[in-house]
Amino acid sequence: MAEEQKQGQEAPAAAPRAEGGAPREGAPSGGHGGPSGGHGGPGGGHSGPRREGGREGGPRREGGPGGGPGGPRRGKRQYFRKKKVCKFCVEKMDFIDYKRADILSQFVQERGKILPRRMTGVCARHQRWLGVAIKRARNIALLPFAGSAAGTQAPRVVVPGAAGHVAPSAPAAVAPAAGVEAPKA
Amino acid sequence: MEERLYDLIFIVRPATPEDEIKKVVSSVEHACTEKGGKIEKAEHWGTRKLAYKVAKHREGMYYYHQIRTNHGELITELERRLRVQDSVIKYMTIRLDEDLKRQKKLTDKREKRAARRPRRPAATPAPAAPVAAAPAPEQQAAS
Repeated sequence: MAEEQKQGQEAPAAAPRAEGGAPREGAPSGGHGGPSGGHGGPGGGHSGPRREGGREGGPRREGGPGGGPGGPRRGKRQYFRKKKVCKFCVEKMDFIDYKRADILSQFVQERGKILPRRMTGVCARHQRWLGVAIKRARNIALLPFAGSAAGTQAPRVVVPGAAGHVAPSAPAAVAPAAGVEAPKA
Repeated sequence: MEERLYDLIFIVRPATPEDEIKKVVSSVEHACTEKGGKIEKAEHWGTRKLAYKVAKHREGMYYYHQIRTNHGELITELERRLRVQDSVIKYMTIRLDEDLKRQKKLTDKREKRAARRPRRPAATPAPAAPVAAAPAPEQQAAS
């Protein structure tokens, strides 16, 4: 429960972050979004503006009002689209091991969210297995459910008011252990 | 009934004395032999940082066992034993054989396809051939 609450709480905060993450990966599209995506930004959802930006980018290329600056951007954008290949298909992995936290951690955000396929380029089948593997790894504390250890601690120290909201994560982590210990008593 | 393969991972408190850990491990091994299971792998991953706090600990010692058995009761017995141990803060058993079966099936399929239509070898000689062919005419021309 606490986790759900926390996720719900985090969602609005994380959404802009995810948006921030998208341009970071596709840096040129973010740069592109700056001038033209100014329309998309305020009205926008999460992935919506990016697509709009892409559509706007299309006519822009043909119409060429962008002129000089449009040139290099166009090239980079194509590059970023091209690079999306499923990593697991390339390596021909038929099984994603939940024990390999080093691999799995490439497909989660810092806070432990599973990255969407559209950002990592993983194919549907491998994303499905990946999700299972990540969830298994979370169960045995190889990956975080939400928030790194440092992340959960920081707000507690800085904002005393927020402690009440953040604190549930710690009991949540302890709760299963308490449940474990209970029967023997 | 075919045998099933399980992964058993448990995390021990970081400050547990050596003999206590040995006791836990041997109790796992003992339960396995008693109930007709076979330990295929036993690994000690050492002290690792936990991704989140477990029983107020930030670190824990990971022990990993791979067990093959066709007695499901063994797993319940193992889990019961680990639950009772004070030093074990977290444990998990996962059934692996179905995943591995799927993996084997896919790998076999891929190999079969590769054997039927060797694309890779065809692709590599193709660029190599022109290179090999190119010098030849030059030589002819030179001579």
